Amino acid sequence: MSVSYVPVQWNPNKWKYDAVLIALVVVYIIVFLRLGTPAADFTRPVDGAILRIRAFGSCAFLMLTVILAIGPLARLDKRFAPILYNRRHFGVMTTAVAFTHAMYVLGWYFAYAPIPRLEALLVSNTSFGQFLGFPIEALGIAALLILSVLAATSHDFWLSFLSAPVWKSLHLMIYPAYVFVVAHVALGYFQDAKSPVFALIFTGGALTVAGLHLASWFKERRFSPSTEKWVKACKPSEIPDKRAVIVTISQQERVAIFRTGNSFSAVSNTCAHQGGPLGEGKIVYGHVTCPWHGFSYKARNGCSPAPFTEKIPTYNMSLENGVLFIDPKANQPGTDVEPIIVEGVVHG
Amino acid sequence: MAKEKDPFFVGWGKIPKDYKVFLISLTASIIAVFAILSYAISSTQSDPGDGALMGLTTAVGILQADPYPVLHVISSGRYQPGETIILSGGGKRGVVKRAAGFDGQVVRAAGVTMQRGDLNGMQLRSGKNGLRGDDTGADAFTVRVENLGRWRLTGEICDGKCLNGAMRPGRGLAHKACANLCLLGGVPPVFVSSAPVEGSEFLLMADANGKAVTEEILKFTATYVEIEGEVERRGELLIFKISPETIRLAQ
Ligand code: FES
Repeated sequence: MSVSYVPVQWNPNKWKYDAVLIALVVVYIIVFLRLGTPAADFTRPVDGAILRIRAFGSCAFLMLTVILAIGPLARLDKRFAPILYNRRHFGVMTTAVAFTHAMYVLGWYFAYAPIPRLEALLVSNTSFGQFLGFPIEALGIAALLILSVLAATSHDFWLSFLSAPVWKSLHLMIYPAYVFVVAHVALGYFQDAKSPVFALIFTGGALTVAGLHLASWFKERRFSPSTEKWVKACKPSEIPDKRAVIVTISQQERVAIFRTGNSFSAVSNTCAHQGGPLGEGKIVYGHVTCPWHGFSYKARNGCSPAPFTEKIPTYNMSLENGVLFIDPKANQPGTDVEPIIVEGVVHG
Repeated sequence: MAKEKDPFFVGWGKIPKDYKVFLISLTASIIAVFAILSYAISSTQSDPGDGALMGLTTAVGILQADPYPVLHVISSGRYQPGETIILSGGGKRGVVKRAAGFDGQVVRAAGVTMQRGDLNGMQLRSGKNGLRGDDTGADAFTVRVENLGRWRLTGEICDGKCLNGAMRPGRGLAHKACANLCLLGGVPPVFVSSAPVEGSEFLLMADANGKAVTEEILKFTATYVEIEGEVERRGELLIFKISPETIRLAQ
């Protein structure tokens, strides 16, 4: 949280996370080059450089696919949350793998020419007007540039420097990056590979990402937006102790109603850190705790406990006929709201 | 009791026990899945073909500069008399300039041989070591030219060097930019026909007048195209004198 910025605030979980990431890449590349390729049916071997281009390229695609699957998976099943935490490390590692792929391409397909490599990259294929034969390098470069910007700004310093909403929208660029990568592969290697295996894995990966996002989107639509003045939320007994229910009050706004025993408070569902879904968090040590990176807030006023200074908006609530209602007008971040006490409520 | 029933992970905290089992199995399965996918993708890569670099050789023969430099062999340690070799230079370069002064003359060529099926190529050594006039009085012959009529062919436009074994694979869409660089550098374009023409699937490309055709075909390299033109046999090599305006993407 906002104390001081060191390159990375290491803790044992992060070390393990990064060790797993490195193992993942190493295993992938070794299996590709040492086990799979020798088993392929070649009249004569494929060039070493081209094998490495393929190995690192396909590895980066699969890693990006996993990264994009983590978000919706964590919403569908909370046990995925620890992978979401530190997802940025996954992103930085993927950028490095994609960069390695690009360097091999540059050093092979664009070297040995009478013109310098970068110039060769620009002039060699300019068929931007056609589908098949489109310069796939441009798509790859676009994706790599986005990934590099995201990797470079992944640190918390940038998060606070740019403010959470700006940082968050910047990092949504991961989606266009994935679209570029899919097009890069679809118009390139996908066309050359004659075996259906690659086609299956590639389309399967891209469809999984799309499908998971749809599924988690459906899950969130359980509570539909309302235009009423005060928004009907739910019965207090529907909220498990130390947990929350998320209520959608408009297209962009969601509110999390937290329960601690018999006391109920409503805060914004959006974490001040990276916009994590607070309503999927839990009351830990008496504070609302974000499921993504563990920022915490007092439920009644939305303030992080000292020494931290983050604040989120709170909402007024009322209890009518045993049902909680929310005033859709948010209070200023940090506004204290007396919790609603409901005697004798049990989890139904 | 509530604690065990409702585990919750926070990044800075300890991982709940329930999660641990899940995470360890998840980690193991992700690595296993990556290994399996890696094997599946790498073991099913397409065959790059039989093109290859075959070591150094020399050949004396008649050089023909148009549409792109080729050599009709008179004598060589490696090639049979009458065989035709496509010539290229080091890296992504052709030998158009070096060959220009020798059109129709007997020359001595030296370099690395390349071969793919019945397509012969040679990457010339630099300077005079690679190409010079021959004064050993080799017996020149008249290169036989035979017109095989007008054809409409489907296939792929490749650069004659990578295709021939300088790269494996040296064709396909992933290789398109590289093929274009080779062609821009003066490497002869070769058409790989999907059905053999008079026994050969490789045809050296030219424009309708038998001259170089590089600029007109760059857009269409590496894709599956349909082209009309005259086919001519010169020595043992087929020349496809295309009408560039007839090129279109094939299905
Ligand atoms: S988004 Fe990072 S802690 Fe909430």
